[in-house]
Amino acid sequence: MFTFQRVRGFLFYLSLFLFFGGLPLILSFALGYKFNPHTFKFVKTGLIYVKTQPEGASIYLNNKLIPEKSPASIQELVPGAYKVKLELAQHYPWKGEISVEEGKVSRMDKVILFPLRPDLEQLNQEKFSSFRLDAEKGVIYYLNRENGVVYRSNIDGSNFEDIASLPENFGGIRGWEVALDKAKLFIFNPRQIAVLFFDARDNYEYSDSPVILDYPQEKIIQVFWHSDSYHLIVVTNKHIGVIESRPRALPVNLVELSKESTVSYYDSKRDTLYFSDSQKSPDGVVYNNLYRLELNTDLYLLERLMKKKPNE
Amino acid sequence: MNKAKILKRIFEIIPGGLSWGIIISLILLSIVYPVASSIIIITFDFYWIIRTVYLTTLLIMAHHRLSRQKNKDWLECCFNLPKYKDWSQLYQLVIFPVYNEGLEVLRPSLAALNATHYPKKKIIVVMAFEERNKAAGHNAAVLEKEFNGKFGAYLSTFHPDGLLGESRTKGANATWAAKAAKDYIDAQGIAYEHVLLSCFDADTCVDPEYFGCLSYHFLTSDKPHQASYQPMPVYNNNIWQAPAFARLVEISGSFCQMIESMRLEKFVTFSSHSMSFKTLVEVNYWPTNMISDDSVIYWKGFLHYNGDYRVVPLYITVSMDVAYSSNIWRTMAVQYKQKRRWAWGVENFPFVAGGFLENKNIPLFKKLRRLFHLLESHVSWAVWAVILVAIGPLPILFGGAFFSQMSIAYNLPKITGMLFNFTLLTSLTWIFLSRTILPARPSGVSWFKNVILVLEWVFVPFIILILGSTPALDAQTRLMLAKYMEFNPTLKGDKVL
Repeated sequence: MFTFQRVRGFLFYLSLFLFFGGLPLILSFALGYKFNPHTFKFVKTGLIYVKTQPEGASIYLNNKLIPEKSPASIQELVPGAYKVKLELAQHYPWKGEISVEEGKVSRMDKVILFPLRPDLEQLNQEKFSSFRLDAEKGVIYYLNRENGVVYRSNIDGSNFEDIASLPENFGGIRGWEVALDKAKLFIFNPRQIAVLFFDARDNYEYSDSPVILDYPQEKIIQVFWHSDSYHLIVVTNKHIGVIESRPRALPVNLVELSKESTVSYYDSKRDTLYFSDSQKSPDGVVYNNLYRLELNTDLYLLERLMKKKPNE
Repeated sequence: MNKAKILKRIFEIIPGGLSWGIIISLILLSIVYPVASSIIIITFDFYWIIRTVYLTTLLIMAHHRLSRQKNKDWLECCFNLPKYKDWSQLYQLVIFPVYNEGLEVLRPSLAALNATHYPKKKIIVVMAFEERNKAAGHNAAVLEKEFNGKFGAYLSTFHPDGLLGESRTKGANATWAAKAAKDYIDAQGIAYEHVLLSCFDADTCVDPEYFGCLSYHFLTSDKPHQASYQPMPVYNNNIWQAPAFARLVEISGSFCQMIESMRLEKFVTFSSHSMSFKTLVEVNYWPTNMISDDSVIYWKGFLHYNGDYRVVPLYITVSMDVAYSSNIWRTMAVQYKQKRRWAWGVENFPFVAGGFLENKNIPLFKKLRRLFHLLESHVSWAVWAVILVAIGPLPILFGGAFFSQMSIAYNLPKITGMLFNFTLLTSLTWIFLSRTILPARPSGVSWFKNVILVLEWVFVPFIILILGSTPALDAQTRLMLAKYMEFNPTLKGDKVL
């Protein structure tokens, strides 16, 4: 037992020595101090934390390659500015400069290394002039103005098919948009709007395709689909109006515009049109104003409910 | 309230107050000054790693001693002693305090006693029943019928309930039984100094060589009456059947006792132990109103002999039952209550501190040293897991943007993780040693259980979380608030022990 106690005593004092010897080293490391063996002094340092996407990039610090790959923390750096270069095979290198402060972490954790040859994939199988992307449904619509055909494909280019044809002699196209019900699109030029239906229209009770809406006296600037996919909001050089997408429909002018070149934006989620127009003050100064026009049908529904009440 | 009571209350408040003070201070520091908190946490983590490695080395040494003395013929060693150390004069008085354990628990304990190599006519057995237990009379009669005549003497005692000044504790029952044994010893004309007393938990199965080992150490010790003799408790009786959670906790408990056996200056009796009957009578038996009678009896000896009292480790095992229940949640509750009862040993602190104030013959340095050991062990028990598991991440969580830009915020989790990976190496040692103290796999238990016994160590962090500090913190808080615990026997298997 005596021998065991002697060994135990030795172990105890060894543990004490390790604790009191190791603790200053661990704490100084934790606080960012570095022992300089030449000056026998502790120098307070900082560190750089590097994280890249993808990981595994080589790290050059002041043009010197360090052994660690990203993500890595480069410890015990004397405060100052450092040039950092990150390199990964088949990726564009990243270069930058970072300042290291004593006792602090300088983070470079949002670096993305982009590939040298991005993954390019052709999606269209036919020529086209412009396209619209419906990311929510995962569908792409293509318009070829030369042959007047509208195509549709999945978001990965599969199921490429033609779904509609433009009316003959419909030139000077200024814009087009697919309705929210994904069953039709409008296309417009300064004098006409054409509504084209994609597939069989057996259930479309009120029109023959295509529906042509004429604006002989006004110049069409912008057209939007209402969220009901039936009404069109039309901005012309004179008015802001609404028109149904059926043959022989007549426009309803909601706002008379002072300015010919109005700029407009339609929030289809709230059925609200934002547009700019000018106003002349009594002293002759012209002001440019931004207006909001609400076209939400929920308001009308509320009105209808309120009207019903007296009959109950 | 008189001065003694005020002092007792102060001493009762100190351990819990210190533990809560450390925990609350560190939480506040993590919020107000995370850098200081981080420094303390890293220091504590490093201290804990060094301590773990040191204690694991002690465990290896203790295990080596246990292995070396395994199957040793201790009676042969007694025979080889000089004639003036005559072991044949020694009587073994064995007391089993019984709460409401059934025959299925008591019978194996007596059978193991009967299988010892020590001359049976020199063994006096006292089965100490509680009178309030309705089955006590029947069980006593059955056991008497089976074991009477197999030992030198076989006594059954029935401790009356509600004696003045007593609590419902194991110590009260054991004291009642020891006094009954004293009457028998007096009647037989046996000198007290020739009687070695062993007070065993009811489920204790002794090694066949236990009494030979005890006699040898008693006869070869310096001042043998001024010592308690502590065997190594293992929980092998039902270890193959017990659930992993309970098994791990008990193995860890055994290892802690083995480690303690190497730290003689701190070593205190625990659970089943032995001592001189003469000393027991001189110190006026076990306390009858304290739960931790197993350790208090040591401190009574320490105070009685003015600090010249020690515990001699016996590198021989006594096997007990693993405490578990019908499902994992109930097992956790059983284990939690058992650990809280062990942690209630913190009641020793006011007892010892009060005793030291009265005793002017113990050197001041010795008093301070022992009090520090006692306080440090209980406070460490109550705070270590809280600091490692709960407080460790707080500086990062509450440090804010400024702190997160500092080197120490970046290095704190890194250093903590690195240090803990290092402790995994020590865990491998524990896994290996745990395999070596297991009894042979009983028939009917699949060999696959061997694999489970290794894999189950992954539950250790979970166990630390549940049973690391909370039972000790619970016990200390109760003592601090004077909400004194009552003796609550541990449910083991389907049995209450």
